Amino acid sequence: MKITRRDFLKGTAAGAASMAMAGVLGMPVMASESDGSTPRNETLYFSGQQWGTIASWNPMDPNANNAMGIMQGDSSRTLLYETLFMYNMLDGQLYGLLATDYEWADDNMSALIVHLNQDAHWSDGTAVTAADVVATFNYHVNCESSIGLDIINYVSSMEATDDYTVQMNSVLNDDGAAANYMMILRYTQQMYIMQEAYLQTVEARCETLADMKTDTMEDFVGSGPYLKYFDDDQKVVFIRDDNYWGQAESMWGCLPAPTYIAHTIYADNAGGDTALRAGEVDVSQQFTTNVQDLWEVDGLPITTYIDEEPYNMAATMPSLWFNTEVEGLDQVEVRKTIAMAIDYEQIRSSAMSNQSPSFDDVPRSTMNPTDGEQALIDADTIASLQWASNDIDGAIALLDEAGIVDSDGDGIREYNGSPLSFTVECPTGWTDWQASLEIVAQCANEIGIQVETYYPDASVFYDDLYSGNFQLIMNSPSGSSIVCPWLRCMQYLSSTYADLEYNTSGNWGKYRNDEADEILDAIAVTTDDDQLIEYYTRLNEIYLTDVPSVALMYRPQLFYTVNESVWTGYPMYEDGSNIPPTDCTDGYGIAALYNLVLVEELE
Amino acid sequence: MKNTLRNIFHSPRFVVGFVIFMAILLTTIIYPLVVTANPLAMIGQGNFFKPGTYVSVKDTVTSKTYTLNIEAVSNIADQLTDTNKEDMRTWLVKYGGVSQEDMDAADDDELVELWLENYDSSVTQSGLTSSTKKAYVRLNDTILSLMDDSDVIIASENEDGELEESDSISTKEYVNVSDVTNKKTFLLGTDNFGRDVLTEMVNATATSLRIGLIAGLVATLIGLSLGLLSGYVGGTFDNIIVFITNLFTVIPSFVLLILITYSVNQSARGATLIAVVIGLTSWTWTCRSVRSQVISLRNRDHVNLSKLSGHSMFRIVVTDILPYVASYVVMALILQISSGILSEAQLSMLGLGPSTSTTATLGLMMNWATAYSAHLNGSWWAYFPVVLTITLISFSLNLMNTGLDQVFNPQLRD
Repeated sequence: MKITRRDFLKGTAAGAASMAMAGVLGMPVMASESDGSTPRNETLYFSGQQWGTIASWNPMDPNANNAMGIMQGDSSRTLLYETLFMYNMLDGQLYGLLATDYEWADDNMSALIVHLNQDAHWSDGTAVTAADVVATFNYHVNCESSIGLDIINYVSSMEATDDYTVQMNSVLNDDGAAANYMMILRYTQQMYIMQEAYLQTVEARCETLADMKTDTMEDFVGSGPYLKYFDDDQKVVFIRDDNYWGQAESMWGCLPAPTYIAHTIYADNAGGDTALRAGEVDVSQQFTTNVQDLWEVDGLPITTYIDEEPYNMAATMPSLWFNTEVEGLDQVEVRKTIAMAIDYEQIRSSAMSNQSPSFDDVPRSTMNPTDGEQALIDADTIASLQWASNDIDGAIALLDEAGIVDSDGDGIREYNGSPLSFTVECPTGWTDWQASLEIVAQCANEIGIQVETYYPDASVFYDDLYSGNFQLIMNSPSGSSIVCPWLRCMQYLSSTYADLEYNTSGNWGKYRNDEADEILDAIAVTTDDDQLIEYYTRLNEIYLTDVPSVALMYRPQLFYTVNESVWTGYPMYEDGSNIPPTDCTDGYGIAALYNLVLVEELE
Repeated sequence: MKNTLRNIFHSPRFVVGFVIFMAILLTTIIYPLVVTANPLAMIGQGNFFKPGTYVSVKDTVTSKTYTLNIEAVSNIADQLTDTNKEDMRTWLVKYGGVSQEDMDAADDDELVELWLENYDSSVTQSGLTSSTKKAYVRLNDTILSLMDDSDVIIASENEDGELEESDSISTKEYVNVSDVTNKKTFLLGTDNFGRDVLTEMVNATATSLRIGLIAGLVATLIGLSLGLLSGYVGGTFDNIIVFITNLFTVIPSFVLLILITYSVNQSARGATLIAVVIGLTSWTWTCRSVRSQVISLRNRDHVNLSKLSGHSMFRIVVTDILPYVASYVVMALILQISSGILSEAQLSMLGLGPSTSTTATLGLMMNWATAYSAHLNGSWWAYFPVVLTITLISFSLNLMNTGLDQVFNPQLRD
């Protein structure tokens, strides 16, 4: 649905008029459930999260299209449902939510003992118990949800030792130790806990267990601070649960400040961008070109996490993946020379609008630019393997040396007689990615390797990516997470993913290296830092030598631009709050909701 | 013929249109001869550098300097806006420990002094939003840099790798811009990729004109030949052609255009192919109009005479019918060129145009300007000249068309 200029003006005029009326007459503006309208000064508006109409409220449904409500990832979104712990990307620690703390049963980490917060209760008033956690695990596994299919590789079973204690038994390796302790911890901050009684209700109304995955769960019972209030193809609104258990002293000690969480469903970035400038959006998770102009030139009360370049905290790196099973791209020289030719500086400054650290500042590796991860590699050892940005001459020399030359004079080099001509792919509408790929194509063409861009719909893109039906493709590995950098290294290098027929996990280019696999297995059971540095450094030597993929830029995990015309008190860089810039909704970042205050109430 | 041409050039509309069009056309031919730079080269590292001349900072520092007795830094207080001063006063009273009386008594110079004495960004400023606090930090930086009238020291690395002062620049030293060797003028700034908008736009205009011309020729050629044949031959043949034409008229040609371009992969989707596809989907109304004109012509006396004389169908169509519809066809061609250019712009706006890394077209330029929200950023140079060019091209072509209409259409003739 496109918002015309006239609708837009009408909307703002009406909004302004009703606010003015309320102000003059001193009447409270009543929320109206029929059209989802809510008082501006009780609502926190978002943009850049929810695209399109919500399909489902079911955390097991892979096609829920409910980004505002359901997002189980490296920092899960805990507005409606809650996880046991919250991940804080600033310090890499887990903070208690439904659980208070955890401990390992023994040195082999054969089981994780999690203690639940005894104050926690569901929105229907009943207590959150260990039985609910166990039921959530069992239903995920039995319904074969994507979490269920993966978690059983690390957690063999869960049991409730008492009402408020859960024991998660590790899948053990040959040595009798946990096969991967990090992934167990990861699920404690990723998997939403669902109510056992409610899951049984859903099971009763579904014919098979598999059907449970597609039940829309409109009547869901959650434990989070917000409840579903209104949703259609125009917007999504959540209303605060004033009976939320988290106001107990053992948790937050109060309710979150906004009564409503709302997300207007915009047709495109420009829609959200315009609304942010107009003060109709408080927290924007959108890429904004020359974002600093919003305050430096336009003087708007808008700010980002950091006041200077790169404005946000970079935590991931969208990469170019080479399909190593495609003739030509199976040659290291071809992959490496494409990587050498790319003008990363141009991508950083124009495609990313300078909102990214450069590869000169943070040399490329499998590590994200956070201090914690950078400390895990020996940068000096891999320094000699780095390459300069846009090294056209070097790339041409390397190709000539490898005998990959243009023998028929059409300007395109051949390998084994067939021209090196490839297609590079990313979803249409992802403008900064598209611009990056245009730069990649132009640079590759300069060294005689023809690269053309292809921008299909996101659904086609993901299908191509997961089924390996591509030559070159752009995608991001995991950002900041309790299991990174190990998981990201897996995504870059592990051959276990290469063997999957439909691969949603990583290593989409199907790169194989036995040594890398051994090191990755070893890291999964290593806790010693020096040993880890050795492992990670060696992995990066392999990665930079074989170039199975190449990072094009550093990028924030989430964009975080806030307009302070209505709300203030947002977490800012080095403000001492230790709240990560995860848009006030994800992981420990949700703590920000409890610190917000209205600008009009400032002294 | 001579007389017709003279008539045409007496039509003011035609002449205005013709002049505008030729000006654009000549620019696309002459400009590349003068500026030989690659129009797709990404020069600026950043988005949307504003129009102007950029001089090399290094050259400026090393150029011959002239000392001018001009007071470069005037009063700082004069350089601050009233809002700045108001903000400073508010802050000082609220967080700087300055009493309201002192504040009211202070003039602008004293205000700056008080600010320098009392401003501290680390003070707890309860009641200020983060964006306001940050704005104060920037205001303070501005004041400090305005204050700084000391010389700028230029240092270079010596053999031991240590910094050694090589020069210092006072505020009274100037360089003559013509002494600076390295400079670059972007008359229309740069786009989101850092490309020179003017150079790119001239190149894009040439491509768009070529696309328009090819599309127009293809559409007119198909429309004309089918129209001539179906009108003249008549009968079943006519029915078949009319059926096909109606079919193509009913299917929205733009949808067809989207479907065809979407199914062609990008390497093949060059400017020429796009032009041909546009031509292939927009011939119908030329065909219909030509056909109806031919039907009214085919029973005229001179045509019958030719038939009796045993002339071939081809000769009759070319010599006895075509001249009567020629003026109409030329006018249709002009409109087809115009709509071809617009169709390309629309296609490229949808991301279905030629590849950005190999071709510049007016539509692609608008597509990227929109994608990087130039219209929201105030970067007018990235899209407005493009829009203006498209408008001028189609305006001039339409003017030429109405001018011709005035000459050829007996109903409009004076």
